[in-house]
Amino acid sequence: MNKVFLIILIFIVLNPSFAYAYLDPGTGSIILQAIIGVIAASLTAISIYWEKFKSIISKIFMRDKKQENKDKSKIDD
Amino acid sequence: MIEERGSFRDPAGKIFYLNKKVFRKISADGQERINFLSKNNLLKESIDKKFLIPTKKITDNHEYNFSKDDVIFEHERIPYISYPYEWSFSQLKSAALHHLNFHLFLLENNATLIDASAYNIQFLGAKPIFIDFLSIKEYEEGEFWNGHKQFCENFLNPLILKSKKGISFNNWFKGNLEGIHTSDLNSLLSIFDKFSYNIFVQVYLLNKLDENAKSKKDLKIKKNKKNFPKKNFIAMLFQLKKFIFSLKDKKKITIWDDYSQNNTYKNDEEIKKIQCVEKFCNYNKFQKLADIGCNNGLYSQLALKNNCKYVVGFDFDINAIDQAFQKSYSNNLNFLPLFFDASNPSSNIGWSESERAGFIKRGKFDAIIALAFEHHLAIAKNIPLEEVINWLMRLAPKGLIEFVPKNDETVQKMLELKGDIFKDYNIDNFEKFIKKNGKILDKSTISASGRTIYEYQR
Repeated sequence: MNKVFLIILIFIVLNPSFAYAYLDPGTGSIILQAIIGVIAASLTAISIYWEKFKSIISKIFMRDKKQENKDKSKIDD
Repeated sequence: MIEERGSFRDPAGKIFYLNKKVFRKISADGQERINFLSKNNLLKESIDKKFLIPTKKITDNHEYNFSKDDVIFEHERIPYISYPYEWSFSQLKSAALHHLNFHLFLLENNATLIDASAYNIQFLGAKPIFIDFLSIKEYEEGEFWNGHKQFCENFLNPLILKSKKGISFNNWFKGNLEGIHTSDLNSLLSIFDKFSYNIFVQVYLLNKLDENAKSKKDLKIKKNKKNFPKKNFIAMLFQLKKFIFSLKDKKKITIWDDYSQNNTYKNDEEIKKIQCVEKFCNYNKFQKLADIGCNNGLYSQLALKNNCKYVVGFDFDINAIDQAFQKSYSNNLNFLPLFFDASNPSSNIGWSESERAGFIKRGKFDAIIALAFEHHLAIAKNIPLEEVINWLMRLAPKGLIEFVPKNDETVQKMLELKGDIFKDYNIDNFEKFIKKNGKILDKSTISASGRTIYEYQR
């Protein structure tokens, strides 16, 4: 991920044909948005999947734990 | 009718004051934005969610002698206008988060902000509120965030500067009303600071791209290019919000840190002082009071508990102001603490020296309290006692001013290094100078050293 990001970055920073609507002091900001907007959206998507993944794992883990507790209480009985 | 000198940049409307009320006249340029806001009920929703200052359209222009074709809105009046260079770290951070939250709310409702000026955020007590509804426009699919650079300079860069380097942004911001340039911040940050993803992209990379763009003057221009998907826009704002939320104030120890704990008062002195403030506030029931040298806001809060409606606190100690703000924010108080150097108060600055009003011009207070304050000017800053009294009494028609005599422990410490060059600094002259400006209504000696609180009326 980091390598891809770096390659894109080098390409954009050094690419001489990169052009935008107007050349005022805000041009850098527009180019930056084009780059990091994609990254931010990807990070958001990843974090959503990560949260989902974590909740699935924790559900499985909790189920195991609940089962364990049930088994334990049965033994105690 | 008084025109607001700070509202000239956007041709869509102008702010003016009439009969102590705040109005905004909408020009033909702004009509489209107003139509959009009305059509989507966005104005009401933004106000209901406490993002935007309460605003209503004037339906009877005749009542105020406005021309019948004029489109005029009335805004709720902000008790005291403040500027970002008067805010502490937590204040600027809360303003930045308010701005981002509001923008995210607008994007959800197919609207966006045309700029990201920190001057569009004001404080009601310690709660930030957006004041310029003409900054809202309909969102067009694929458009870029035009206010991004301004957001960085007005909010993000000053916060990073304080958080990573411990350098207060206030004096810098006052020197450059646009905030802190990314190129300046980039030069200051170390390579280790730039290991943070957000700092790397929002400071280093942004600066690099800006430099790159400026050096390529023969680039082809593609007009109105709109290819920034909304989900990317939202994700970028979320990223910034998360990053700003995580920023912590890197505090330096200030002279008056923990002043309320370490000061040289005895308990009974403090009790007498409290009684003076309580009596003064309860009797007069002030609408707006200024606490000059408020420190962490102890007496400001006391004034609020004793029938004062709104208190603005001023202090030179940025850490104390930050602490006071956090206290006011968490207790939802009508207390606005601001950073303030009395020997160099905010002056009229900006375009035509009137865009941002100075301290005296904005400061119409019903009363002041200046406790344990005058010696910081008269002794520490060598300002003649008479000038200190004249200046304080000019701020409000009524007030409490504490006189701290030379034999007091605090003044003795100040004189130790300086030597006593203050021949006219005594209680008789203090009284004489007050009487030159008005009359003394009451006086109470509160300490064995002779500290005395005077109640004056101009």
